[in-house]
Amino acid sequence: MANDTRELTYAEAIREALAIALAADERVFLMGEDIGVYGGAFQVTGDLVDRFGEERVMDTPISELGAAGVAVGAALTGLRPVFEFQFSDFSLLAMEQIVNQAAKLRYMLGGAVNVPVVFRMPTGSGLGGAAQHSQSIEAWFAHVPGLKVVEPSTPYDVKGMLLSAIADPDPVIVFEHKLLYKTKGPVPEGDYRVALDRAALRREGRDLTIVAFGIMALRALEAAETLAQEGVDAEVIDLRCLRPLDREAIVASVKKTTRLLTVYEGVKTLGLGAEISALVAESEAFDYLDAPILRLGGAEAPIPYSPALEKAATPQVEDIVAAARRLAHGRA
Amino acid sequence: MASEVILPRVDMDMASAKFARWLVGEGERVREGQPLFEIETDKAAMEVEATASGLLRGQRAQPGEVLPVGAVLAWIVGENEAFDPDLQALAGELRALLAPAATPTPANDAETFAPSSSVDGPTRATPLARRLARERGVELAALAGSGPQGRIQANDVPPPRSEVQSRSGRLNREWLRRSEGAPVVMVHGFGADLNGWRPLAGRLPASIGALAIDLPGHGASPFAAETTLSAMAATVAATLAEEGISAAHLVGHSLGGAVVAALANAANLRTLSLALIAPAGLGPEINAAFLDGFLRARSVESLGAWMRLLTVDPDALGAAMVKTTLRRRAETGELEAHSRIARAFFPDGAQAIDIRPWLAALTIPAKVIVGVEDRIIPSRQAEGLAGTIALHRFAGVGHMPHLEARGPVGRLIEELVRAGE
Repeated sequence: MANDTRELTYAEAIREALAIALAADERVFLMGEDIGVYGGAFQVTGDLVDRFGEERVMDTPISELGAAGVAVGAALTGLRPVFEFQFSDFSLLAMEQIVNQAAKLRYMLGGAVNVPVVFRMPTGSGLGGAAQHSQSIEAWFAHVPGLKVVEPSTPYDVKGMLLSAIADPDPVIVFEHKLLYKTKGPVPEGDYRVALDRAALRREGRDLTIVAFGIMALRALEAAETLAQEGVDAEVIDLRCLRPLDREAIVASVKKTTRLLTVYEGVKTLGLGAEISALVAESEAFDYLDAPILRLGGAEAPIPYSPALEKAATPQVEDIVAAARRLAHGRA
Repeated sequence: MASEVILPRVDMDMASAKFARWLVGEGERVREGQPLFEIETDKAAMEVEATASGLLRGQRAQPGEVLPVGAVLAWIVGENEAFDPDLQALAGELRALLAPAATPTPANDAETFAPSSSVDGPTRATPLARRLARERGVELAALAGSGPQGRIQANDVPPPRSEVQSRSGRLNREWLRRSEGAPVVMVHGFGADLNGWRPLAGRLPASIGALAIDLPGHGASPFAAETTLSAMAATVAATLAEEGISAAHLVGHSLGGAVVAALANAANLRTLSLALIAPAGLGPEINAAFLDGFLRARSVESLGAWMRLLTVDPDALGAAMVKTTLRRRAETGELEAHSRIARAFFPDGAQAIDIRPWLAALTIPAKVIVGVEDRIIPSRQAEGLAGTIALHRFAGVGHMPHLEARGPVGRLIEELVRAGE
């Protein structure tokens, strides 16, 4: 139940959600590398080990595949593990457990079991982590039936969605953009839930729809303010949920604005924006399109270490403004 | 790298043009902005300026040749740059061929459609434009597209006839100040609205009432295809009658000046005095580039660049006015109305209206007020009127005397009102 609202950082909101879940349900426990005494690579779990003990805030060896297997097995026995990958890049070591086991066991056993595991994934570039610590691989997981994939952009959403994910009977992947951890926003006290299948309309507009998620939702909103000063009125949809996609919200918005720009940090080709574009092209919104659909995605390259190149490899506010301007003015 | 000299789209409706002649010879040096060649469209002949500096090479367009918009006519190359016209043409064609299939796609590049040098082939139209054309029974092929490479977009499809007719009706107006006696009726110019009168109205004494009107297709007024001065004047007269005004002092700016000149001769209104501020209809010349650029502008930068021509002080109008104009364009269909009005009143960059016969018949007090440095309508057009019409020429003022010299202009209006009563 939502009570008083305070300003919390995104990381504090996650920690609060974890604490609430740990306190409310003894089946819930945390796993991950250095999440205990060290407090997590991004200091998200913080002091939770002091409050709930090492049995429930469990440091794992540096073996993602083995540890994720323990998490999936624990979930199969009825526990509710919340597993933190230090970087989402490292989840690739555990693909077998996530994609072949967690996502498929309920189906293969005819509904006899559930796999209520949550995988938390610090993701994205912007901190100089270079090619192996900066990827945005949401699309890899969003491609897998049996998984739910979310990427909240606000402290409010990440707390509510994480609590929903922990309560969910199926595996949920929660992507957390690293640049968001220190952003602040209003967060109610206590337990509340945000749905795992609904996009958020962050800004209403008439001239074009920008669909984005995670850090890109914030950049899209910033771009929309600049565009407003030029007389371009952008609608911004924060997807929040990447699997399943909120088809209705996207289609309704495009029917209203007649133009669509998708923005995502992952590699442009075969990324989330491609799926959203295809979804709209197949929908009843097709006959409302008054311009080509544009995708603004990451470079077709590993994320560079150089800070200047790292920025150039991913959509920035000014890139969004430029693309939206061309769309709105009929020059795309 | 050699830069292509392209046949530009100089007109919304234009798909091709006749190449008239080169103004610069093969191999000669050109500066950016220098007139480079002449073309003839259905509507006008015009010079096209160089978009780069360097040497003009590989002239391919011949006088008399009809070419599509986007055709490559020549190249401008650096002083010491090697140049082979055949290789250059081949490179351009290869780029056009390869561009749509080029992979991998560069980062952040939302440019989906590479320019092609031809406008032939099936009609290019957005899904929305296709649906609207279908619903409204319009042939797509008959429409001119304003999008890239002539793509037809929703705003290129004319509104349904019923919508045009149902929008006919009386004009939007606002009492800027109310008072006893016959009011001053203010009529704005092309592309403006009644809000432009507020500064001047503030300079009038409280004893003078002022009613400002949005012309058809402007501000909050509907557009019922009033494409002659008489039709505009008739709609304004009907609006005044509805407002219960039988006698008025008329003030008009630019196109509004021509409208009130026509209105001064209307039967059902007693005109007491007439003030024409930078009026249209006194001569043929008008700044065609301004009209064209004003209608084409879609951003603060482009529209602001044109609107700065209105006044001598480039900041006199302010960014807010530019943004307001853009916002109105986005919210209403007024750009379509403006385009039709411009085509009717100022075709081919000329003023197709003449108010001199009406002014010659005037017997009421009248003034023509112009800015000597008007860059839209030359101020000398105001010369040669009847000796009973006072001509006030303001030095250091442009096309907007009622804004740029609002104090003195306010006093002139006050004089007229006194004389006319």
